[in-house]
Amino acid sequence: MASLVSVGRPAGHVEGPSKVTGQARYTADIRLPGLLYGKCLRSPFPHARIVSIDTAPAKALAGVHAVITGADLPNRRIGRFFLDKPVLARDVVRFVGEKVVAVAAESMDIAEEALTRIAVEYDALPAVFDPVEAMQENAPRVHTDTSAYTHPPVPDFVHPGDDRLYPDIPNVVSQVFYTHGDVEAGFAQATREFTHTFTVPPVHQGYIEPHASVVQIEPDGKVNLWLSNKTPFVARSQFAAALDVTEDRVCVNTAPIGGDFGGKGSLMDSVVCYHLAAAAGRPVKMVMTYTEELSAGNPRHPAVITLRTGVDANARIVARQARLVFSCGAYSAFTPLHTVHGSVHAAGPYRMPNVEIEVFRVYTNTVPAGHMRAPGAPQIVFGVESHMDLIARELGLDPLEFRLRNTLVEGDAAPLGEKWKKIRCKETLEAAAREAGWDTEKATHRGRGIGMYDREPGAFGPSSATLSIAADATLTLMTGAADTGTGSYTVLQQVVAQELQLPLESVRVVQGNTDSAHWEVGAGGSRLTHMAGQATLAAVRELKAGLTALAARHMESPREQVTYEAGAFVNTNGQRLALPRLMTALADREELPLRYTGEYVAEDPVEVTSFCAQIAEVAVDPATGQVTLKKLTTAHDVGTILNPLTHQGQVEGGAVQGVGHALTEHLIVQDGAVTNVHLGDYKLPTAMDIPELKTVLVKSDAGPAPYAGKAIGEHSNVAVPAAVANAVFDAVGVRLMDLPVTAEKVYAALREKNSVVKSGA
Amino acid sequence: MIAFAYIEPESLEEALALLEQHGEDAKVLAGGTGLVNLMKQRLVQPAYLIGLRQLARRPELAEIRPSGSLTIGALCSHRTIETSALIQRRLPLLATTFQHVASVRIRTAATMGGSLAHADPNQDPPPALLVLDARVRVQSSHGEREIELSDFFVDYYETVLEPDELITAVIIPPQPAGAGTSFFKFLPQTHDDYATIAVAARVSLDGDTILHPRIALGAAAATPLRARTVEAALQGQTPTPAIIRDAAALVAEEVDPLADFRGSAEYKRDMAIVFTQRAIEQAVTQATANH
Repeated sequence: MASLVSVGRPAGHVEGPSKVTGQARYTADIRLPGLLYGKCLRSPFPHARIVSIDTAPAKALAGVHAVITGADLPNRRIGRFFLDKPVLARDVVRFVGEKVVAVAAESMDIAEEALTRIAVEYDALPAVFDPVEAMQENAPRVHTDTSAYTHPPVPDFVHPGDDRLYPDIPNVVSQVFYTHGDVEAGFAQATREFTHTFTVPPVHQGYIEPHASVVQIEPDGKVNLWLSNKTPFVARSQFAAALDVTEDRVCVNTAPIGGDFGGKGSLMDSVVCYHLAAAAGRPVKMVMTYTEELSAGNPRHPAVITLRTGVDANARIVARQARLVFSCGAYSAFTPLHTVHGSVHAAGPYRMPNVEIEVFRVYTNTVPAGHMRAPGAPQIVFGVESHMDLIARELGLDPLEFRLRNTLVEGDAAPLGEKWKKIRCKETLEAAAREAGWDTEKATHRGRGIGMYDREPGAFGPSSATLSIAADATLTLMTGAADTGTGSYTVLQQVVAQELQLPLESVRVVQGNTDSAHWEVGAGGSRLTHMAGQATLAAVRELKAGLTALAARHMESPREQVTYEAGAFVNTNGQRLALPRLMTALADREELPLRYTGEYVAEDPVEVTSFCAQIAEVAVDPATGQVTLKKLTTAHDVGTILNPLTHQGQVEGGAVQGVGHALTEHLIVQDGAVTNVHLGDYKLPTAMDIPELKTVLVKSDAGPAPYAGKAIGEHSNVAVPAAVANAVFDAVGVRLMDLPVTAEKVYAALREKNSVVKSGA
Repeated sequence: MIAFAYIEPESLEEALALLEQHGEDAKVLAGGTGLVNLMKQRLVQPAYLIGLRQLARRPELAEIRPSGSLTIGALCSHRTIETSALIQRRLPLLATTFQHVASVRIRTAATMGGSLAHADPNQDPPPALLVLDARVRVQSSHGEREIELSDFFVDYYETVLEPDELITAVIIPPQPAGAGTSFFKFLPQTHDDYATIAVAARVSLDGDTILHPRIALGAAAATPLRARTVEAALQGQTPTPAIIRDAAALVAEEVDPLADFRGSAEYKRDMAIVFTQRAIEQAVTQATANH
């Protein structure tokens, strides 16, 4: 193989300059002739019957072109897997922020004014906000009849379990089991048993770009859609279904995405935007405010996590039982699949022969949940890694020692039966401990805590890429996948340059719309470097083979005697044909442009995973409860790193997101309504809040991405909350079972602990 | 709809005349960092917006002038105050305090007069200005008056300013010789936030005796406030740990915090005690060093 000229080098984001100079045009920047602006009136009630809607004064306002309610629309529900969400509420509202009336007007200002002139009469209904309460027999039903809600058969997902959709339990959307071994037999062998319950609130993804939609309907009815969405082909399919048209009647166009973190995979306002455009006969743009984002976006599922673990006399885990309850809010339409699949991490990267995980997804009268960076995993891992720490302390063991006794090692089967190759779990944990100085002295009120996680590279769905070459020998790679800011375009560019041994600048990467690009699942699940990378590799190899044949024809040599070498073709006689010369000749023969498409489907289960071990060091002020993160060490076992710059960006960006999840971020929900509705009150960490970040890379040589690469996008954000909570315990001896770890909670826990100590003395 | 008339007077006199004419229906726009947010949320909907941009050309409104007292023009930006060599030398407390406000972008826009007129009790500068015995100079077409800052705030977003009055300057009198000062902004969430509690302190020492103590708090009640019982408990005392601790504890009765995203009322009350103690300790340490 040729040397790595491009892959492995730190290349800056190919689309970066356009973003930092303000030239990038996001969906919200799109202007079209005759464009109107859409806005929605939203429900102030968590659960209510709509008695009447009076839109006449809004319709009468000058500059208003359309006012629509649920009654004006086909009675069709939309979604990704569960089709349970109306485009505009019909008869009933089920969460504060549900869209009830939509308006399109000449300006945003007129649209907002029109909303103030609409009168909706509601009749409040009993509501339920807590998912565990929602499962009780006497709980209000968020949906009284789910029989009409459609969904495809449960896919044979990573760990096929026993799946029950809409089981006979109040408000439960799905009940899924993941089992391995015999959990009761396992507990029978245990000498000690531990049970703990943890809670995690909803959090927002925190992207800078709020969701925007633009819809333009052509005279023949074809719909042009622009949407802040990282999976345009999936969006086209959902959108066409929502309109009850075939997919070829919809083109999902591209625009840069201003941050995703999992949140940009739903239809959001696009369907109501379509109905406004249809009603007004003009194109319509809708841009959510950040208040709408925080109160009615698609946040991470809140969860109640109960873990029961049995250990034997040698502190080895013999059984783990998990009961996980996720609230999906009022609709399950844009949640992951049939369950929150991060639940599989309830066992962690530990050896345990007997596991039973039971996962509920439950309706509540709260904002519908969606996807966020490693869906389900940060919640579950906060529980699992806190639970591990609690057990270690109860057993009188150092938390590191307890984990080392139980971590997976080469040859072990994972808790749910996966047989990973090249297991680097223990090595990764040991590397983190060394870098973090686990055994070194700590000052008073300083503590260290560990969190562990593992995740395999995303391998679902097909990917494709089309590589074309022009007369001047410049290469254009067209992908259907959006770069959400992770650097995926840059990595694909590197793959092409690498294979052709050409400079990076000779390769352009463009995102095609759904009419021009080949079908591609898109960004998500840490899959692009792997899947789109392999498709790109296939495309460039096709191109190389195709061009070599054309070069052989040109050189009048047998095909098998011609090889490609860094921008030229060489035959066995030593004759050289430079690539530009071949292209000029092909142009003269009018044989251009040439296009080669590569497709990729991962046929076998991915056989390697990636481990992550994180150690947080905190200082706690016992007088205030304030937790200051002093140092965060994140260790990852990695394959070939295709781009060290974008790789490190993912490691650090994820770690910072984890810090927010650990210490400050949460949607505060009161009586079903999100109350911290702007970024002044919803606290994302700032640069000043980030401590020393230490990354440790543990090299491995196996991975399914091109050049034996692995995934990194959803690794470093997951275990930080547990590491921080464990460090707080280490520092001052108080245990928080609920995120985020706020100063006031630590203060309250310290006071309780001190009063117990005092009264006990 | 958000409709208003925007007027940009060329002179102070013109601005005052506009205020006299439209006072009740008008709002004055200086940096806009507070007002524009309220307007966007439609909490404030003035018919007239009087922009003061042209007035920034007038030195007495936009400069910091040393005389016996120090006079800060109402249109001085937070950033100007924070970076002023004169302020850093004569009133380092103010430079430090203004540095805590929001971000550089906000501080570059936000003005001295605007922030006081906005009267958000969670702001950082008022506690520091209170312990420095600041006065507010206000002017109308009918004349000028000076108001002690401790008499200036009435309630949330409410001051004693009449509709036709405009803040023109803040005056800081000469400080007691060797005074020590401190400012604590408790930020348990992120660095970009309003305080959960903010405390400023000033003390001077005559030998072992505390003189002229001033303690003021922000984010602790409907207005920024002076903790007068704490001051009284320190006046004439020797700053022993017990005296400071007992004096600080009195702040619990002075504050009346509102529960919000930055903490419960109970937590803020407890934190007021913690940070009042820390503020006094640091001011005493500094005064001792100055001694």
